[in-house]
Amino acid sequence: MRKKLSKLQSNKCCYLGTLENPSIRDFLTGRIWLRDHSPYSEEQINQHIQLGFISNLPGVQKLSHTNYICNRCANKNPTLFIKYHCAACENYCVYCRHCISMGRVSSCSDLIKWIGPAPKKSSNHPFTWTGTFTPYQQKAANELIESIKENRTHLLHAVCGSGKTEILFPAIHECLKQGKRIAVATPRTDVVLELAPRLKQVFPNTNTQVLYGGAEIDNSYAPLVIATTHQLYRFENAFDIIIVDEADAFPYTHDETLQQAVIKAKKSSSPIMYVTATPSDKLLSQIKKQQGGYSFIPRRYHGKPLPVPRYDTLWRYTKRIESGKLPRKLINWTHAQIQGNRPFLIFFPTIALMEMAIPLFQQLDFNIQAVHAEDPDRKEKVLKLRAKNVPGLLTTTILERGITIPNVQVAVVGAESGIFTSSALIQIGGRVGRSFDCPTGDLVFFHHGISVEMDVARKEIRRLNQTELSTI
Amino acid sequence: MSAICLLCSKPLKHQLTWNRFIFNEQQPVICPTCHSKFECVKPEQQKSPHVHALFHYNEAMKDFLHQYKFLKDIVLKDVFRQEIANALKNVDAIIVPIPMHPDKMKTRTFAHIDELLKAAGIPYTHLLEKISSESQSSKSKSGREQSAQLFRLKLDANIENRSYILIDDIVTTGTTLEQAKAILIEAGAPSVKALTLIQG
Repeated sequence: MRKKLSKLQSNKCCYLGTLENPSIRDFLTGRIWLRDHSPYSEEQINQHIQLGFISNLPGVQKLSHTNYICNRCANKNPTLFIKYHCAACENYCVYCRHCISMGRVSSCSDLIKWIGPAPKKSSNHPFTWTGTFTPYQQKAANELIESIKENRTHLLHAVCGSGKTEILFPAIHECLKQGKRIAVATPRTDVVLELAPRLKQVFPNTNTQVLYGGAEIDNSYAPLVIATTHQLYRFENAFDIIIVDEADAFPYTHDETLQQAVIKAKKSSSPIMYVTATPSDKLLSQIKKQQGGYSFIPRRYHGKPLPVPRYDTLWRYTKRIESGKLPRKLINWTHAQIQGNRPFLIFFPTIALMEMAIPLFQQLDFNIQAVHAEDPDRKEKVLKLRAKNVPGLLTTTILERGITIPNVQVAVVGAESGIFTSSALIQIGGRVGRSFDCPTGDLVFFHHGISVEMDVARKEIRRLNQTELSTI
Repeated sequence: MSAICLLCSKPLKHQLTWNRFIFNEQQPVICPTCHSKFECVKPEQQKSPHVHALFHYNEAMKDFLHQYKFLKDIVLKDVFRQEIANALKNVDAIIVPIPMHPDKMKTRTFAHIDELLKAAGIPYTHLLEKISSESQSSKSKSGREQSAQLFRLKLDANIENRSYILIDDIVTTGTTLEQAKAILIEAGAPSVKALTLIQG
């Protein structure tokens, strides 16, 4: 396959003496790529190295006697480096397990990056969005553009359902007009898949790349890249602006190399724009320290308050489900939603508990289904819920953000479990009442004892609802 | 710094069981959840009396093989070391791994069958040489059955009057193992069986 590709390339591009091959230039600009995995022939790459257009560096570098660093993902964790006897070098080589799913990087495999002339940039980026902003959105959009002009970091703190994505449009347009390269990165593939069509629609003439695990890679230069934060491992010194959407989502906050990846992927003086409904204290203090911009939207775009969770006890729910019975309260709640023809989501703390519960729910309605992170049909099941082909879904925290289902009702089973942090609970609550026609809905935390995180979440939602509307 | 599961990266809890204490069993390198996703082949499910396969080719095994062979994650050699050791430790036979072509070895950077045996602590002897560098998995079923000679006996191979066990990672149509077996039989081996990690 690779051989075929490189043959195609050499037929298509006529090579002109000491000029760079535009196809290689467009592909490699801003990227850091495994040499063995590049779509170009060894001969072409060597030629460009000699011309000083491509630089070559070892995949894994030794820092000290036992410490290594991966030049692609910046992993330094010694347990994730494996030393073994390599048959190709007939010597001991080291590889990085941290980013191995993107193709193995080892001390004997090279990474290449582009150091030649920059690709030609187009400044023709028509912007075809016709919506209107609420005053809150307008203010935030203006503040974002201001931060971009001043090249400073910015935090857009906007409650769930306030129209965050739209607020980004003018800022992205401003960058594109200035010939800047921009990345919208997010930890969740679901969010990438949701964002990409919306951005492509409002920037119809802009070459946009969508990158996530398993996506097709095209070889052109794209001024707008929408990617999972993982994919940023493969970029270096590439972007003039990076927008990190859902900046508090797993695994971004837990994996330092992902945060490093964002910093490595942007140019050294470029700012990062964080977008989230639930910023961590760490992020808030970081923005303050860097004197970055801050926009706050306490209201949803339809102006109605956020749904406040109600608590309900569900004693010994694990034991009950394990013994093959659903707690009565849960049955009643589910029945009420089915009879009212309202779609519902029921969140579970673990996959194991959810799988025990699914056959019990299917006795109530055969069409109820379950989704979790490893479910390949996740997208289809959510679409079915939206189309009302299934009455409701059982889910883990994987559906806590990025999805919009009109009139959805939400229950959290075992809301006191450690996995339901206050930000997870706020995000889960944010699924309810998002649409203009159905701005309210039931949000219930079924629990076996109230946790601090539950109280923090409810307090925060109340605080947001009480924030003075006249702060503009 | 505690050990993590090689497949899902969750922390591993090491338990000292009597078996591990007395019989010196190896510590597992994957967590029980990951381990439970692999499906053992039961005696009545074995496809051929001469080939003993340890696991079915399910989704988890597919991912394992992809990461081990194609992403070249050599540490995964340890995942099934206990199972392989159990299947081979008290067997009086000469263990012969299916060889790799030297070109293939350069690109993969390690011999994946040899590594499985090394991890299990099983001594082995190479008696065969791979002569064609095309891979079996790229061919169709009929293409495999018609394929030309894949192996030849090594020049210095010495066949004794003992039983032989061929080792491969996966058996699908059985062509590879049949060919290897024929060569050993022709060279004078009295009995040739096979053990594979996976039954496709």
